[in-house]
Amino acid sequence: MEQVSSASPLSRRELLRLIGTAAGGSAMYQAMSAMGYAADSPYRGPIDLSGAPKGVSVLVLGAGVAGMTAAYELRNAGYDVKVLEYNGRAGGRNWSLRGGDSYTELGGYTQQCGFDKDLYINPGPWRIPYHHRGILSYAKRLNVPLEAFVQVNYNAYLHSSQAFGGKPQRYRAVKADYQGHVAELLAKASRQDGLDSKVTQEDQEKLLESLRHWGALDKNYAYISSDATSARRGFEKNPGGGLSARPIPSKPMGLADLLDSKLWQGISNGDELDMQTALFQPVGGMGRIGEAFGRELAPLIRYHAKVTEIHQDDHGVTVSYEDTQAPGSKLSARADWCVCTIPLSILSQIPMNVGTPMATAIGAVPYAAAVKVGLQFKRRFWEEDDHIYGGITYTDLPITNIGYPSTGYHSSGKGVLLGAYIWGLNAMEFTAMTPAERVQKALDYGSQIHAQYKPEFDNGVAVAWHRSPFTMGCFGMWSDATRAQHYDDLCRIDSRIALAGEHASFIGGWQEGGVTSALDAIGRLHEKVVAQGAKA
Amino acid sequence: MRRPAAIVQHVALAAALTVGAVSVVSAVDANYLPPEALATADGAAIYAHICQGCHMPEAQGAAGAGHYPKLSGDPKLVAWEYAAVTVLGGRNGMPGFGLPPNPGAAGPFGAVHLSDEQVAAVVNYVRGHFGNKYKPTVTASQVAKLPHPGTEPGLD
Repeated sequence: MEQVSSASPLSRRELLRLIGTAAGGSAMYQAMSAMGYAADSPYRGPIDLSGAPKGVSVLVLGAGVAGMTAAYELRNAGYDVKVLEYNGRAGGRNWSLRGGDSYTELGGYTQQCGFDKDLYINPGPWRIPYHHRGILSYAKRLNVPLEAFVQVNYNAYLHSSQAFGGKPQRYRAVKADYQGHVAELLAKASRQDGLDSKVTQEDQEKLLESLRHWGALDKNYAYISSDATSARRGFEKNPGGGLSARPIPSKPMGLADLLDSKLWQGISNGDELDMQTALFQPVGGMGRIGEAFGRELAPLIRYHAKVTEIHQDDHGVTVSYEDTQAPGSKLSARADWCVCTIPLSILSQIPMNVGTPMATAIGAVPYAAAVKVGLQFKRRFWEEDDHIYGGITYTDLPITNIGYPSTGYHSSGKGVLLGAYIWGLNAMEFTAMTPAERVQKALDYGSQIHAQYKPEFDNGVAVAWHRSPFTMGCFGMWSDATRAQHYDDLCRIDSRIALAGEHASFIGGWQEGGVTSALDAIGRLHEKVVAQGAKA
Repeated sequence: MRRPAAIVQHVALAAALTVGAVSVVSAVDANYLPPEALATADGAAIYAHICQGCHMPEAQGAAGAGHYPKLSGDPKLVAWEYAAVTVLGGRNGMPGFGLPPNPGAAGPFGAVHLSDEQVAAVVNYVRGHFGNKYKPTVTASQVAKLPHPGTEPGLD
């Protein structure tokens, strides 16, 4: 890798393409973006539902982010709103597991969260991009204070069990070295007469100058061990004061080692629109938004309600449900209209008389596996020993991520890490374990990155989303083909029933998908109601 | 609603840790099947590492807001084709495992691929365990004749 093919000269277009390829995101990251389209939220401010006829009722199914967005706006517009919720709390996947909480997953496994008071993990969403203006606006209207979520931390690790003897590397070193080596290569290519006439002399000078700047190259366009490169990748010995002041520069990793390590896959993790600074989290846990919604809508919500059938007729919608605290009970609720936010994994099992297109769409969306593990340690060693404040370490181990808390910095006492955040096959495997085994695995694997894991471990909790009784999966996975075939059918109102949720959005797996799909659905529902006038 | 008896697990692992003393995770991990080992996993391993996440260790299924079918004594298993088509293409929220192998496209959320031989193996395993008494007669070539997702127009 020390030479660029010099056989044929590069054209300007080829050069630019080469830059694009070299700087491009990893396969993993491209797959990550498949979770949602990297597009701006369509949220355009509070919805206008004025002119609702008096006395029109809407039954909302599900008190998650989508359901409560719908209920909140419809109630404010003057509709008579009721909400049925399976859980005994509001929020759905907007949820924080805190010290003292108990969680029973499918299979009957119950975990008592042994975290200290005020410590938590967010089993579901944990970050809000600044451009998810819908969910942010509800946080604001509900007076939920936010703080910064650190996505990229230059001092966190990129780790491969197969490279550098399994020793984790600092993000800043990987990034600086990758950039430096690539810049050096390009500079070499452009200087050794490698560029054809389409690149003018002036362009070449600009390019070289930019490469030196971007890669921290020396005057000969070389990426070497120096104060300048160490100012990016970190010093062997940091500059200080007094007699011991003199810094010792560090030695960059070799390009071949770096490429072999595949650690470059982690460089672009903060480049995607969804991960760009600034991101936010509610102070005290993501669940604060669901809790605030729940307080606001308390008089409307019926908890412990397991929907068993949804039946519409010419005049309204009747929903049968069971009070899960009174097994076998048969209750029902009726309204003129229904907004159903039940995840498709569950809705596909509930009898509902909608047309074939919507029914087929409901059954066409498989749900993603995902697992999170929260680990409480006796002290915040990642801050005290490793100087990592927030951010994420990425690893090729099955735990995939270690997330450091973006809150409570420098506090003494115990701390909680996100010890694993897993997708795909790894998540299926972790789901198949007991919660205790998942915690143990997260501990075993994580100790390869932080040796303090074993001595400092206190207790842990693990949430596997396919074992969640209220979602049976993490989020709906659309493919291009299933979207083309079924998405519109899913979103179109079927007589008196409108569906909403992240599954009815192009921002799948994000709360913003739930918010914007709810607003879109109730906007169309409202138009329909107004068009029908009082005879609804 | 009938729930399985709650198995209370206080996940305070301090005791387990000192006993277990697992220092380094070895390449061979009885409790974890790395992706590269998936290709050679047999029916029992596939069930234990994938299926039981939802269908549970004794194939007893589970019920919450919805349910996962109980495969133990499931009368639908009389038709092996039903089981194989479900494994291949998924059903409702259940992901299918018969998509063509394409690791690049799959990504971290993506499809997990089982070969026709493995689909036959896990179908035979489930139909021959958990109180089910069917003979393990399903073969890869039989599975190969069933519809596979991603190979027909309109399916994916």
